[in-house]
Amino acid sequence: MQTEILKAEHLTKSFRLPLKQQKTGEKFKLAVNDLSFSAYSGEIFGLLGPNGAGKTTTLRMLATLIKPDSGDAFIDGVSVVSDPYGVRGRIGFLTSELRLEDFFTPDYLFDFFSELHGVPHDVREQRKRSMFARFGIDEFANVKMANLSTGMKQKVSIVISIVHDPDFIIFDEPTNGLDVLTAKTVTDYLSELRGEGKSIILSTHIFSLVEKLCDRVGVMIDGRMVALDTLAALTKDKSMEEKFFDLYSEVTGGRS
Amino acid sequence: MKAVLTIIKKEFMRFFGDRRLLLTTLLLPGIVLYAVYSALGAVFANVMQDSSVPVAYVRNMPESLGEAIDEIFDLRDTDLTDEEIKSQLVEGDADIFIIFPENFDDLTVGSDVPDVSIYYNSAQTSSSLAYSSVVALLDAYEQSIANVFNINSGSDRYDLADSSDVSANILSMIVPMVLIMLLLSGCVAVVLESIAGEKERGTIATLLVTPIKRSYFAIGKILSLSVIAVLSGISSFLGLILSLPNLMGGMEVDFSLAAYGVLDYFGLFLVVMSTVLVLVSLLAIVSAYAKSVKEANGLIVPVMIIAVICSLVSMFVASPPMGLYFIPVLNSALCISTLMAGTFGIVPFLITMGINIVCAALLAVLLGAMFNSEKIMFNRA
Ligand SMILES: Nc1ncnc2c1ncn2[C@@H]1O[C@H](COP(=O)(O)OP(=O)(O)OP(=O)(O)O)[C@@H](O)[C@H]1O
Ligand SMILES: [Mg+2]
Repeated sequence: MQTEILKAEHLTKSFRLPLKQQKTGEKFKLAVNDLSFSAYSGEIFGLLGPNGAGKTTTLRMLATLIKPDSGDAFIDGVSVVSDPYGVRGRIGFLTSELRLEDFFTPDYLFDFFSELHGVPHDVREQRKRSMFARFGIDEFANVKMANLSTGMKQKVSIVISIVHDPDFIIFDEPTNGLDVLTAKTVTDYLSELRGEGKSIILSTHIFSLVEKLCDRVGVMIDGRMVALDTLAALTKDKSMEEKFFDLYSEVTGGRS
Repeated sequence: MKAVLTIIKKEFMRFFGDRRLLLTTLLLPGIVLYAVYSALGAVFANVMQDSSVPVAYVRNMPESLGEAIDEIFDLRDTDLTDEEIKSQLVEGDADIFIIFPENFDDLTVGSDVPDVSIYYNSAQTSSSLAYSSVVALLDAYEQSIANVFNINSGSDRYDLADSSDVSANILSMIVPMVLIMLLLSGCVAVVLESIAGEKERGTIATLLVTPIKRSYFAIGKILSLSVIAVLSGISSFLGLILSLPNLMGGMEVDFSLAAYGVLDYFGLFLVVMSTVLVLVSLLAIVSAYAKSVKEANGLIVPVMIIAVICSLVSMFVASPPMGLYFIPVLNSALCISTLMAGTFGIVPFLITMGINIVCAALLAVLLGAMFNSEKIMFNRA
């Protein structure tokens, strides 16, 4: 029996719309609508959904960057609402809105974030060496972030987000903007982490990525979880893509 | 607490590792101030030199005034015609042309009122100055003839201020104003970039997912930025102080800063440091609230205005009531002013330090709370 590492209960989040967009009296956009799901240790959970479905918003709540309006989520039993500091030490979070300062080098940033996470010096040096080698960052370890390519920046961001070797990893669109080679490095690494017993939740709108990597999949549309099952069960008789279109027309009632 | 050090270390790395930043915030302000004030001083000195010996033509020089006039003017022979002299005035070759009646001295004794004509050219500074000095001289002479009473007519030295008193007085007026403005501009330069800039670029958000306490992050930012702002302020201050002898070159005031003792300077340093803490925290809060550096630039204007008003007020309050020392920034300006004037008191100083430190601490707590607020840290659109 797998242990439940993440338990989300009735997560709800709305945003106040800018005045210009407040048509037909609607003041708020319900970005995540009463979302409940669980993820288990040692698996990769995929959050699949179209643009604006609320994937990033969900992951930001799990990572304690924003607070749910109502509901709660527990990571390894720690509440994101009542103990955000406890959660932050246990997770690694990657999303495009978290940037690294252009002025610094990967080497410096690795040390800096390790210190913030309280990683001991010798552990840090050893991890840095192996992770930089794994991602081919070693050549660029002393080049300023500003001068790195998009792919290299993303690889550094991934490495930095897990300097403290967390057991629970939250990646928002980790292969966004990467070429196939770099994307493969990343997905291979994610499989490797799963092999080490880490739990991963990632969001994406790329069906092939889900099919290749995920153990279980939650399909989000318009702030709600419209399907949640193992990949095998979801893709029993058709591809993930076809399954998604079925779900989509079911939910929207044929409107597109 | 170790996290505070980690943040400070990073901010210093960012600042001291960047040659451009070092140049623009540390070296440039001092050098520019020095250059500007020295150039200004050179211009002043030039103006004064020009006006020191005005060229004068005098007809019918009266015996009673001959010596006095000869002392202040470069007198020329008067075999030229009136028209020739006047055209020299127009050309700027001469500064003043005075025509006394032939028997001026006799006339002044009687009840007649003699006419004196003074030709000058108000378009020329040196000529205007010469005119004023002649008028002043004649006024004084007129009064001495009427002689109802005398003021300071003996050979005694009547102005008892010595040169360093005058200099202390001037410094106590100017320094608080200048110092606070320089410190403020140093603070603005570093704080906006480091807080509004980082927020805009999304690099603060990256720190917010680490387990570092928001308040430690706020304290680390405020302390490190304060040190940098003080360094920038010191650079400007040095530029200013070093240029003072050049600026005042033409005047007889001795701006010897050696008049102040080690304790004065130490007190000044403490006041400056505590002021910078307050200014940096204030600006940090405004910057954290703003969505971009550009917006922050607009929002800080009220803070700048308040600071200017405080430093202006300190110029006009000669003996400030104790209550004023409870107002941040104003208390600093007053402290600096009294330090410079030599009327410095220990109680106002302690109140100022206490108020500023408490104030900065409260603002740091507020900044920490702001870092914790998603509405403030992630307000898009
Ligand atoms: N800070 C915010 N203020 C206002 N609206 C927001 C905010 N963040 C998200 N939204 C809105 O909430 C909805 C869900 O956004 P979210 O970023 O979670 O979608 P997503 O599934 O990650 O989409 P994408 O695939 O495009 O990244 C969108 O309609 C978005 O406009
Ligand atoms: Mg997204």
